[in-house]
Amino acid sequence: MSLRESLLKKLEDLDRMPTLPVSLIPLLRYMEQPNEALDLQQVIEFISQDKSLAVQCLHMANSPLFGRSQAVESIRDAVVTLGLERMRDIAASCSMLGVLPKEKAGMDPAVLWEHSLACALVCRQFARMIGFSDPGKAYLAGLLHDVGVVAHLWILPSEFSEALELACNERIPLHEAELRMLKITHAETGKLVAERWRLPAEMISVAACHHDPRSAAAHRDLVALISLSDILCRMNGLGHGPVEDREVDFEEEPGFAILLEEHTQLRNFDWARFTFEMEGYMEEVHRLVNLMYHPA
Amino acid sequence: MTLTAAAAAIGPANTPPNPVLVKIRDVIYQVAGIFHPDNKHRLLEERCAKRMQVLGVASLRDYYDCLTVKPTRQAELNALLNEITIGETCFFRNVPQLDAIRNVALPKIIAARAKSTPRHLRIWSAGCSTGEEPYTLSMALLEEQKKHLKDWTFEILATDLNERSLAQAQIGHYGAYSTRNIPEYFKQKYFLARDRELHVTAEVKAKVNFQQVNLSDAARMAFMKNVDITLCCNVLIYFDSVSKRRVISHFYSNLLLHGYLFLGHAESLYGVSDDFRLVHLPGCTAYLKSENKAVAPEKARPQ
Repeated sequence: MSLRESLLKKLEDLDRMPTLPVSLIPLLRYMEQPNEALDLQQVIEFISQDKSLAVQCLHMANSPLFGRSQAVESIRDAVVTLGLERMRDIAASCSMLGVLPKEKAGMDPAVLWEHSLACALVCRQFARMIGFSDPGKAYLAGLLHDVGVVAHLWILPSEFSEALELACNERIPLHEAELRMLKITHAETGKLVAERWRLPAEMISVAACHHDPRSAAAHRDLVALISLSDILCRMNGLGHGPVEDREVDFEEEPGFAILLEEHTQLRNFDWARFTFEMEGYMEEVHRLVNLMYHPA
Repeated sequence: MTLTAAAAAIGPANTPPNPVLVKIRDVIYQVAGIFHPDNKHRLLEERCAKRMQVLGVASLRDYYDCLTVKPTRQAELNALLNEITIGETCFFRNVPQLDAIRNVALPKIIAARAKSTPRHLRIWSAGCSTGEEPYTLSMALLEEQKKHLKDWTFEILATDLNERSLAQAQIGHYGAYSTRNIPEYFKQKYFLARDRELHVTAEVKAKVNFQQVNLSDAARMAFMKNVDITLCCNVLIYFDSVSKRRVISHFYSNLLLHGYLFLGHAESLYGVSDDFRLVHLPGCTAYLKSENKAVAPEKARPQ
């Protein structure tokens, strides 16, 4: 059996990793309804059911990253002050936190969560700036794009840590190192996980194609948007650890041409300003991740 | 932890950014090309407050008028920019940029010039002030002589308008403040400690050629040729848009085909030059001379 086959065989055992909290999927489904159909009380209950989730949500709700203007002291406060959409973003981010391993085998899970959160925030902001139809969806997709890495951490920790080491030493993207060491990438694994978790079809596309947006058969603009945001994070110190010694011209990236088809605002997009804006919340992302991982 | 304890651990709420401050931030970006992200708003507000005190202006809204409608707006903007960039000059000021030069730009330049002779690299520190930037580059490239710059020679052109800064730069003696970021390895290897000061060694100095150059002097600018990398940090922000375009078009023609232009942190050429191509390197941005644009930059300059 080749290395690739044996790793794929191991990955069949996806039940060894935790799944998103059961409460999250119903919440996400519920939130897909039109706004006027939503009941605040219902959302508050979804989140409050799980005490540790609720505490984490409250930490996040108090970060300026989610636009709070005064301290919120309860889930009810948070939902009322921040609104339903931001609350959903927060609940999803905390749920992602829950599926990460606790040990630092291979990769510090805090680093992966930080990358996922940063990417989600960049995706949402980018979506807004180019007039993408659903910034909330962009946030979720950014948050979940690397679920394949989560599976690697749980199921192939030693193999994965070798790939990560290669990426760090040669200063190359993680997926390239995975392909060389494991013969599979977290994109391929991500597709398996997203399918197993029965995530919406567009999230499966994002997990599977974010390193090669041209290969996406559907939801191409969402995949392209996540692909560009992911690169922006990785080039600005919010990646998975390895510094990638390369030069990126965003207008030459495959995701750019795809996104441009429907979003002409992108033609005169000020990439420099967007990058500097992003640097502005990097500090707060670090602070928040630290707080979530080492609560006082 | 209980919910209330979690909330209490977070501390006082952040006040939302003052909308007038956001407008000031946007004017600075539009006119000077330097951006203040949200986490720098407090700093920006403090700098504005200093200027307001000098001018005797009571509110940010009135100060915004000083920057936009008063006839002295350009002078006031420059005064504010002076407050913003004050004390920024130091060795190893922008480490990600320095690393990107060493790890990405240099290998690409070397590859592009593999067949060219002489194997000589020219770096230009435009607006070098008291010399910290060109000396930092000199040390970094001396280190590269064992790696990417094996069999290559290099020189650093360091220019500034200010004669006094240049004189100080040539002496090469520095106090604690501007040397605070120097890694121990470099301190040991490239400096001599004398009377609470650090003196740059002759080896580092020998690679740097200081000259007085006014970036607005077209004849002088036309003379700067065959540059591989230009660094111009926190200088163009003081230029009005016409002069800025002129300087940038000179930078463009001064560079070799594969050349890079690096600006200061959070500085951008958006809306200033269509010739240069923005690229992202790890931890910083740079402008690349695009190879497919053969039009003489002087002619291409928008009126």
